[in-house]
Amino acid sequence: MKNVLECSHLVRRFGERTAVDDVSLSIAPGETYGLLGPNGAGKTTTIRMVCGLLRPDAGTVHVAGLPVNTAAGPAKQLIGFVPQDVALYPDLSVRENLRFFGRLYRLPRRRLERRVDEVLHLIDLGGRARDRVDSLSGGMRRRLNIGAGLVHSPTLLVLDEPTVGVDPQSRHAILESVTRFGEEGMAVLYTTHYMEEAERLCDRVGIIDRGGLVAEGTPRELVALVAERDRVRLTAVGGLTAYADACRRLARVEGAARSGDKGDVVELVVKDARSLLPDLLDLAHALDVGIRSVEIDEPDLEAVFLHLTGTALRE
Amino acid sequence: MRVVLAIAAKDLRQRLRDRSAWVIVFLAPVLISALMALAFNNNDEFRANLGVVDLDRGPAAAGLTRVLKSPELEGTVHVRSYDSEVAARRAVDAGDVHAAIVVPKGFTESLHGGGAEPVRVLDSVDYGLQAQLAEAVTESYVAQVNADRLSVATAVAAGAQETDVPELAAKAALLRLPEDVRAQGLPDDPLKVISYFGPSMGMFFVLFTVGFGARGYFIEQQQGTLDRIAAAPVGRGALLIGKSVSTFVYSLAGLATVTVVSWLAFDASWADPVGVAALSVAMAVCVVCLTALVIALVRTEQQAQGLASILVFALVLLGGNFVFASGTTPAIRTLALFTPNGWALRGFTDLGTGVRGWEAVGAPLLGIAAFSLVVVAVTALLLRVRRTP
Repeated sequence: MKNVLECSHLVRRFGERTAVDDVSLSIAPGETYGLLGPNGAGKTTTIRMVCGLLRPDAGTVHVAGLPVNTAAGPAKQLIGFVPQDVALYPDLSVRENLRFFGRLYRLPRRRLERRVDEVLHLIDLGGRARDRVDSLSGGMRRRLNIGAGLVHSPTLLVLDEPTVGVDPQSRHAILESVTRFGEEGMAVLYTTHYMEEAERLCDRVGIIDRGGLVAEGTPRELVALVAERDRVRLTAVGGLTAYADACRRLARVEGAARSGDKGDVVELVVKDARSLLPDLLDLAHALDVGIRSVEIDEPDLEAVFLHLTGTALRE
Repeated sequence: MRVVLAIAAKDLRQRLRDRSAWVIVFLAPVLISALMALAFNNNDEFRANLGVVDLDRGPAAAGLTRVLKSPELEGTVHVRSYDSEVAARRAVDAGDVHAAIVVPKGFTESLHGGGAEPVRVLDSVDYGLQAQLAEAVTESYVAQVNADRLSVATAVAAGAQETDVPELAAKAALLRLPEDVRAQGLPDDPLKVISYFGPSMGMFFVLFTVGFGARGYFIEQQQGTLDRIAAAPVGRGALLIGKSVSTFVYSLAGLATVTVVSWLAFDASWADPVGVAALSVAMAVCVVCLTALVIALVRTEQQAQGLASILVFALVLLGGNFVFASGTTPAIRTLALFTPNGWALRGFTDLGTGVRGWEAVGAPLLGIAAFSLVVVAVTALLLRVRRTP
């Protein structure tokens, strides 16, 4: 089956800094592809090149065999772009926003009205169609942000971290919708730095770090890369950055990083956690770090990322 | 074309939902021009109350009074007589008369030879224009008297008898100087204040849309909708034209509102509606060009607002939107020729004084077009230099 998206050896530099370095990826029809990486890894730059918003310094992008570039080529008719921040007109109504973005894709009037109604139903905003966007809640705006990328029934839907800053209920609704898009045959490129989203939604995941694609495969294939390892989470107080650095120097530790919402967690990917645990506790004692709790888990995509890059996804 | 219309319609819808835009482009120009018309309306009924102090008591002084009371000045100049200079000065200071002319003793005698004190004008800082009129009439009359003196002196030098001098002087006085100078090419209709300040204020406020347009672009850039448009199959040209169409329609609607309301509600008059329309369209196109220039020059919404404000005030000050061109210095009048609004006001002034067609709007249209072309060239150059790959 012919791929919907083909990116080949994409490179993009900003001055001396290489934001995207030789990234190649492809997405088949009905496939949801997750681009997983921390902030600043190159996800958004890659997406901007895929959508024709940024010209690559090297490499090519094709959608359904058509080349994508910054001009208004036919490939853009097939792409639905959902930017990271809500990109809507706050002083227009929900329906007016959907209608405007549909018109940009030259939908005939009747079809446009039909699609607007369908999308309103899909994002569950039918009852607010006449309301101005600035009167909607944050979650509703997020849903409408996605809806605006769907009006023209794209072949490839590109979502750039659509759940950042979203409440749990809206987040659940967004993830449900994305699952449905894939089931309906739409190819989806989904960037996130939430490992659990990538695991839940994506048929395949590409791990991107410092501009480069470091691994790619199904979540199961990626977890298999660290199958013999354990993931250790130490909740602690004290000089945790120095402690993580010291842990990284221990034999059998393959990745260590400070993480957690409050920065009070050190995550480790290690071989044979149980035999290593006394060494970790001794080291904490030596560095005057107080360990509050220890968790030893099965490896997941987060552990894969830690193993491959040496840093945490949300570091 | 559909995409262009979609972008233009969306932009216009957004602008018309902004109440401040309604106030600035539609309401404010009408109100301000009406206020200015009220404030300056006494210009239509110019009056000069002049006092005359005749210390000469001779025919030459009486001649001056006759000139001031002549049919040409009837309705404009009112003359009151005073016995002494002190009384006249008191009347001027009290505002009873705007200025006073003092004819010195011996003024008539000086016709026959010998010197005399000069005729003086007592003026007031409050009525400069009326004092200027008094001076002009007096100078003109004194020039006539001096010409008479010269005629008599010439006759005496050629051998005329001293006894014939009074008769010669009377004959010379009958020969008028050709002082009646008429300016060619000036129309006969007086310019109504509202016919000037209506379009003037309309242009002033419509120039503010430069800031609206430029700010709107950067706001769209900030909120990500510009990216969303760029991700659609929409060329840069379509985006540019769509946004330009909305700015053009908005500016034209603002100017049309002011001219129509000035005409219907305040009795403004222009000789040629087609000329008014042509000037309005040219100015609206120019506003589009200026908006593009500001967008090309700056990088943020705040910078756009700042630069647009500076640009607008510079143009309206140089172009003469706040004062009649006749009330400014020659340097400012020359600088006005470098502004589109200065040219447009020239056109509106000519149309307001009865000049029609190409004679009234030809040069202004060419001036505005030249300005717009320069702006477009600079914008294109800037965009070429700053274009990011």
